[in-house]
Amino acid sequence: MASVGKIKIRVPNTIKKGDVIPVQVLVSHPMETGMRKNKDGSVIPAYYINDVDVFYGNDKITHCDWTIAVSANPFITFYVKADKAAPIKIVYKDIKGGVYEQAVQISPQ
Amino acid sequence: MKQKEKGPALTRRAFIKSTGAACAMLFVAGSLPSLVRPAAAAPNEKNINDVLKKQFGNKNVSMSHVDIKAPIIAENGAVVPITITSDLPMRSDDYVKKINVYAEGNLEPYVAGIDLTPANGKAEFAMRIKMRKTSNVRVVLETSKGQLYGAAKAVKVTVGGCGG
Repeated sequence: MASVGKIKIRVPNTIKKGDVIPVQVLVSHPMETGMRKNKDGSVIPAYYINDVDVFYGNDKITHCDWTIAVSANPFITFYVKADKAAPIKIVYKDIKGGVYEQAVQISPQ
Repeated sequence: MKQKEKGPALTRRAFIKSTGAACAMLFVAGSLPSLVRPAAAAPNEKNINDVLKKQFGNKNVSMSHVDIKAPIIAENGAVVPITITSDLPMRSDDYVKKINVYAEGNLEPYVAGIDLTPANGKAEFAMRIKMRKTSNVRVVLETSKGQLYGAAKAVKVTVGGCGG
């Protein structure tokens, strides 16, 4: 897939300082389990994201430890307490060594 | 094939025998689908209790303060949206440290572990998981003080999601 690792982040348009805001993140990834088979009977090798880090400014605020049982094109929603103007950065790592990251700037009013 | 040659009486007997057997099988399969299917498909399925015991020892998990939002019937087991919410505090001295997600019917029940910090502000997380068959989704929360809170919710899966 050409679009592996494409990340989309959605945060609320207006953020008040101190609000707990939802952050929705979608990443394109096949998340192959290593159990599926091709039509010719050969096993499709496992290929999935196993490590997710979320940074707010310089602090790591969330870490996810994933297995094959997370759906393809993982879509997650988590919450952040917006108390400073800083970027939210999300970093995905897959088992083949791919690293995908994207950041979005948060500027609470 | 032989019965055909021997005349109508035997054919009818054979017919009743076979349909009767088929009916009985249908009845068993229909009334006990949960017992029939895993036996055929999953020789190395792990028991959720063993998994939890390995991870948490003999600690007591209190079944409160955690809520799982999940569909009652998931049409596609490959994409089951779940939302985990908790009313536990997220203060700097007392917060939800980790959310563990399990799908009991999967060959490897452990789905994900999510480490949270007080900066999240709220112990809530939504994701989409794969479920092989109809079973419980189970969540165990660990707080920074070492307490465990859990919840379980049954999800009916009509098409399994782990391939094969």
